[in-house]
Amino acid sequence: MEVRFITQIQVPANPNHRFSRPPLVPPRYIRASSSTSQEPKSYRGPKPSKNLVADFVSRNDDSVRSLPIYVGGASLLAVLFNRAVSGIAPVADASSSQSRADLLALGLAVTNLLTGLVWLSIRPKSITPVEPEGLDCNVLESHLPPSLVSELLWAWESLKAATCCKSLVIVYNGICLVQIGMAAESPEDSNKAVIVNTDKLMEGSVYQGVMKSKAQSYLANLSLYPGRSELPFLPANTQAVILQPLGDKGLAVIGGNTVRGFTSSDQAWISSIGEKLDATLGRCFINSAEISQEKDQ
Amino acid sequence: MSIQICNFPFHPRFALQPRGPRTAARSRRVFASGSDQQQQLNLSVLRFTFGIPGLDESYLPRWIGYGFGSLILLNHFSASSPINQSQLRSEALGLSLAAFSIALPYFGKFLKGSEVEKRSLPEVGEQVFVISPSIGDFLKEDLAWGTYVLLRNTSTVAVMISLQGELCVRGYWNFPGQMSKAQLHDWFKRKVDEIGLADVKETLYFPQYAGSALSWDILPDGTRSVFVQPLVQNVESEKMDGFLLVASTAGYAYSDKDRAWIGAMADKFRG
Repeated sequence: MEVRFITQIQVPANPNHRFSRPPLVPPRYIRASSSTSQEPKSYRGPKPSKNLVADFVSRNDDSVRSLPIYVGGASLLAVLFNRAVSGIAPVADASSSQSRADLLALGLAVTNLLTGLVWLSIRPKSITPVEPEGLDCNVLESHLPPSLVSELLWAWESLKAATCCKSLVIVYNGICLVQIGMAAESPEDSNKAVIVNTDKLMEGSVYQGVMKSKAQSYLANLSLYPGRSELPFLPANTQAVILQPLGDKGLAVIGGNTVRGFTSSDQAWISSIGEKLDATLGRCFINSAEISQEKDQ
Repeated sequence: MSIQICNFPFHPRFALQPRGPRTAARSRRVFASGSDQQQQLNLSVLRFTFGIPGLDESYLPRWIGYGFGSLILLNHFSASSPINQSQLRSEALGLSLAAFSIALPYFGKFLKGSEVEKRSLPEVGEQVFVISPSIGDFLKEDLAWGTYVLLRNTSTVAVMISLQGELCVRGYWNFPGQMSKAQLHDWFKRKVDEIGLADVKETLYFPQYAGSALSWDILPDGTRSVFVQPLVQNVESEKMDGFLLVASTAGYAYSDKDRAWIGAMADKFRG
């Protein structure tokens, strides 16, 4: 029994719809009274000051990293030079107070050298993003309630703005609700995108694996993953994919353009968004099921 | 620690959670095909470390700078024979090197890949969760979820969302105790009007709140970063619909990525 809920969804007759203007706006005719002024006062606080050091360091990351090495090396040479110039033998003992001062300066120079080396060693590897090959598509299942559509679009906009995501596919209850962003070109017709075959996807090992584990799956380097062939709708050179289960009825496939491009903070945000979408979708589909049941009775 | 919660029906998953150490929720268990560290750092074997747990070695140059600098001064003032030129030169060099070493950890904080400070919960202050009663149920649920997610996924300890003057406040705030929920909401509204936050036109980020000229007394003690994001109603009219304010007890708490995500959350409540 395959019930296509989508065709039976109707926009609920009287939604406590969050787009209907809630009674928030205070009546404006009280403006004359001085005790309750309704216009917002202008912001009188300070603006944040620019931190020149922070800006300089973030812009010249590489050169700042090697700066301590140069400082340390230069001072090392300077100490030896000083000794040579003043005619004292370069003997490193702590006998005279000159030697002690020199030793301390040497110690500090070595500290700087080592710090510079540590900074160089912990430089994050910069990975260049790869432009996805394919075409832009924007496919939304028809007859969805507007609040759901706006929530799905919001999810896409935030993923696009905050992460390296370039493609988004949401499948729920056996229906592909959304296919947005870059998609692979269909081999038959190069102007159209590959359509998501939800039945094939849901039978595949990728979907089954994620549903069984009930946890987000992050494929940081998609080319190394054998299940790649089960996601033919993504552009061929998608670099990273996050598979986020939406409850136990749906899946969100999020494709990115950088290897290991989704940070752990991104993963946490994506799983929170997945929970929210699951709550919204669940409510939406339950409502429609009730409506259809009432109609059938 | 008392928790005041507005009683209204919303999805139980997004209710106020007890504040414990920041543990990963079940749904955040991820299968990464590399370890999480390798996403961002390329650690090599060379590490300046004594391996003492709890000791932050990135501040080691600072301690060495203080230590050796004071030893140089000690050496200078305890010299028995008159000091010659070359010693003065090397002492000057040593002192400037010490000053540079002391400043090094501060520069290192702004490099890419540096560790972000963890937030600490404020000792003084109570948690609060207040939503204006004149907001519709669906919007209330969205606000509850939004504030919950902000508290969980960033190092935020206090969040306030204002939509056309009506507030949703959650987290640790500095408010006088023993008020009913309605009174608390009005009190927050008054304070926000005094500061004039509803009129903010652009995002404000104060990564070092303690050092700036700000003193918003509603923020909890120990706040070190504050970020304010206005909610734009329409792009053309430039009328602000409200704002979203997050505060944290860690300095430099909101990286570019965090701010991008907070902007995305703010978009959800726009219009």
